[in-house]
Amino acid sequence: MKKIALYLIPLGLFLGLIIFLYQGLFSNPREHQSSLLEQPMPEFVLPDLMNIEQTYNEDVFLGKVTLLNVWGVWCITCAIELPYLKQLQGEGKHIVGLYFDQDMDPDFGIKTVARVQQEVTDKLSQLGNPYAFNIFDVKRDLSMDLGVTGAPETYLIDQQGKIRLHHIGDINPRVWKNKFAPVYDLLVAQ
Amino acid sequence: MVAELGNFALVMALMMGILLSIYPMWGAYVNHSRMMAMAKPLAIGMFVFTVFAYACLTHGFITDDFSLAYVANTSNSTLPIYYKITAVWGGHEGSFLLWVLIFSTWTVAVALFSKAIPIKMVARVLSILGMVAIGFYLFMLLTSNPFDRLLPFFPIDGKDLNPLLQDIGMIIHPPMLYMGYVGFSVAFAFAIAALISGQLDSTWARWSRPWTLAAWSFLTVGVALGSWWAYYELGWGGWWFWDPVENASFMPWLIGTALIHSLAVTEKRKVFKSWTVLLAISAFSLSLLGTFLVRSGVLVSVHSFASDPSRGLFILGLLVVIIGGSLALYAYRAPQLKGNGRYQLFSREVLLIGNNVFLSAATLVVLLGTLLPLVHKEIGMGSISIGAPFFNQMFTYLIVPFVLIMGIGPLSRWKSQSPQALYKQLLIAFALSVSAAVLVNASFEQSSYMATLGLVMSFWIVVTTIMEIRQRIEPQITSGKYSILQSLQKLTPSHWGMVSGHLGFAVTLIGIALVSAYNVERNVRMAPGDSVTLQGYEFVFKNVSEYSGPNFTADVGHVDVYQQGNKVASVAAEKRFYPVQRNVMTEAGIDSGFTRDLFVALGEQLKNGDWSLRIYVKPFINWIWLGAFIMAFGGVLSISDKRYRMTKIVHKSKANKTSNPTLAEQLS
Repeated sequence: MKKIALYLIPLGLFLGLIIFLYQGLFSNPREHQSSLLEQPMPEFVLPDLMNIEQTYNEDVFLGKVTLLNVWGVWCITCAIELPYLKQLQGEGKHIVGLYFDQDMDPDFGIKTVARVQQEVTDKLSQLGNPYAFNIFDVKRDLSMDLGVTGAPETYLIDQQGKIRLHHIGDINPRVWKNKFAPVYDLLVAQ
Repeated sequence: MVAELGNFALVMALMMGILLSIYPMWGAYVNHSRMMAMAKPLAIGMFVFTVFAYACLTHGFITDDFSLAYVANTSNSTLPIYYKITAVWGGHEGSFLLWVLIFSTWTVAVALFSKAIPIKMVARVLSILGMVAIGFYLFMLLTSNPFDRLLPFFPIDGKDLNPLLQDIGMIIHPPMLYMGYVGFSVAFAFAIAALISGQLDSTWARWSRPWTLAAWSFLTVGVALGSWWAYYELGWGGWWFWDPVENASFMPWLIGTALIHSLAVTEKRKVFKSWTVLLAISAFSLSLLGTFLVRSGVLVSVHSFASDPSRGLFILGLLVVIIGGSLALYAYRAPQLKGNGRYQLFSREVLLIGNNVFLSAATLVVLLGTLLPLVHKEIGMGSISIGAPFFNQMFTYLIVPFVLIMGIGPLSRWKSQSPQALYKQLLIAFALSVSAAVLVNASFEQSSYMATLGLVMSFWIVVTTIMEIRQRIEPQITSGKYSILQSLQKLTPSHWGMVSGHLGFAVTLIGIALVSAYNVERNVRMAPGDSVTLQGYEFVFKNVSEYSGPNFTADVGHVDVYQQGNKVASVAAEKRFYPVQRNVMTEAGIDSGFTRDLFVALGEQLKNGDWSLRIYVKPFINWIWLGAFIMAFGGVLSISDKRYRMTKIVHKSKANKTSNPTLAEQLS
């Protein structure tokens, strides 16, 4: 009997593996968000979209409650949320854009920076510019570190530079009221 | 119409599979020879119908039948004809059709080339293959039928083949890989048939060896081609990325390598029987697991097909039935598998099993590294990712003892080897390999410890392999009967197969060690006329021209390379734009050489008209793939050995059925 138990080990290991594979089937492998909450912003050094010479790092978020909005001109939903973001900015919220370009392969993009800037200027003059400034995620490194799956996505960052909320999809009055407002008001009150 | 015929042929092939899984097996059980004899025609039928279905799908591609959903998704009217033919396996459904086509090819090969094997065994083996076939054909017909129509509204033109796959490497890589993957099903079927029959002597090991070697050789070539393709097509300059799908092909290779060695021990020495059976089951199980990982969308990878839980669930069910069933059978039968050979602690048997342990440990490392992110998340510890550093480090630890044993193993005797007898020889071998490694390393400007270590290991294998040949022919030379050349000729092909396999590994190891340590890369911004010097090579950026291919437009950067004022190469690095999928692809310009590759990739054009370029000098990188081909050639040599020529040996083996031990000695 003892011997059979020994030979049952492979079967046991296999069945254990199957359980995980089964669960894995029903969860999204691209989901990363929960791991980043309550973490400080990842380190980065990236240029300003409109002024490539100027660079920012993670310290730029210190001292203010910031909404970091990941977007691009190619993103249709982003265009829809821009007017509402503009309204939020009008209410005194500090909104920073994290811009990345989709046609830009990490290594071998086909667009020049000048053309990207032109497109962004066109889009923002048309729909309103809610951004204090835009960080240009040239190689999408920061988006990767943040676990961005697409655009738009928005992060709420507190005065200590910690990520407090992550939202995938557009921000509209309902999302703001239910998800962002409670945390935001609390942070501002501190 | 043609597509409907193809669909019908698939259903017929499924029917053949069902019959194949029932009649011969039942016939073997009740000892009914006519039922067992049905195995062969049924296997042929399954093969013929599958070939027909495959031809129908190919026809759909050639005639641009975009009413077929699969064709519309993976082809386009502007695609060149040779890519239309290979686009058949460019997506999930078609590549699975190729999978079952290759599966039925192996099945029919077993049916045709097994005349020397008792009919009962063949019937069981084919029946088991039939059972596996049922699962695959059902999977294809129910969840991923390549013949699904988009009627009545079908697109005018197709979405085009992924540009990454429009490439010669991709034309041959998947069929080779599948030949290997699926080929392990034969070794699996032999092992299961042996378990079912209870005929647990080691004859099944002899029968399954040529099949396993064939599958392993194909897999070796397939993995090497995949790595080569990633090197020049992805344009990242690397040759192995520890991507989950690469890992999925690497795991069966590692276990397959263990299996071909373990089969040799089981055949010759009648020991480690249950271990060998377990390896045979594992090799095929890992192939299936790879299929699951690639096609279910559980893991994120550049290779993965569109994810679909229902497909994943189906394959998972197949895994449970096939692997779970065979492991349960194993647990039930394996306790009866007793080795009857005797051996001492220091003997070739133990060294071989030692190597098996390291190969299995390596497989486990890859398996854990691939699945840990998944498990980690499922037990609620958040997402993690395991990257190349983990694998590289683990493999560095594992390979040192592995190579040590690999050198000693062939030199030592079966049963028992006195350490003193080998001591002096090994010391010489070690001294030789260290000095060779230091000498080679000294030719590079700055030396690296890792490169030295890699070279010592490679030369260790080379030196001990040569010593082994010398040791083998020495008695014949000293007896004065034969000259050196004659005694070399007297060595069996399977012996040369081993030599070739081991030397191939050494060649690959040299490539890996040198390219990892001495690879030089630089990203530069260049205007036409500029030059940059790297490792003594002067790269002169001449100009950029444009041209249009059949379904893309391209910028081509021309770079000349000079060494000490002499032009040594002229490469063209392309950046292609495929309008249908709006994709940009890099085609790196590579000048391949025996001792180095010069690799130039064209980047984007900068604001002022300059271009960014990425330039690499990669020493000895081609040795990595060269070694793999030498290894695969070793497999082919072994198969060509006389004792596997089954049709001829049939009378002889009957005569020698009592199997005197000297026969086994001679063969080894």
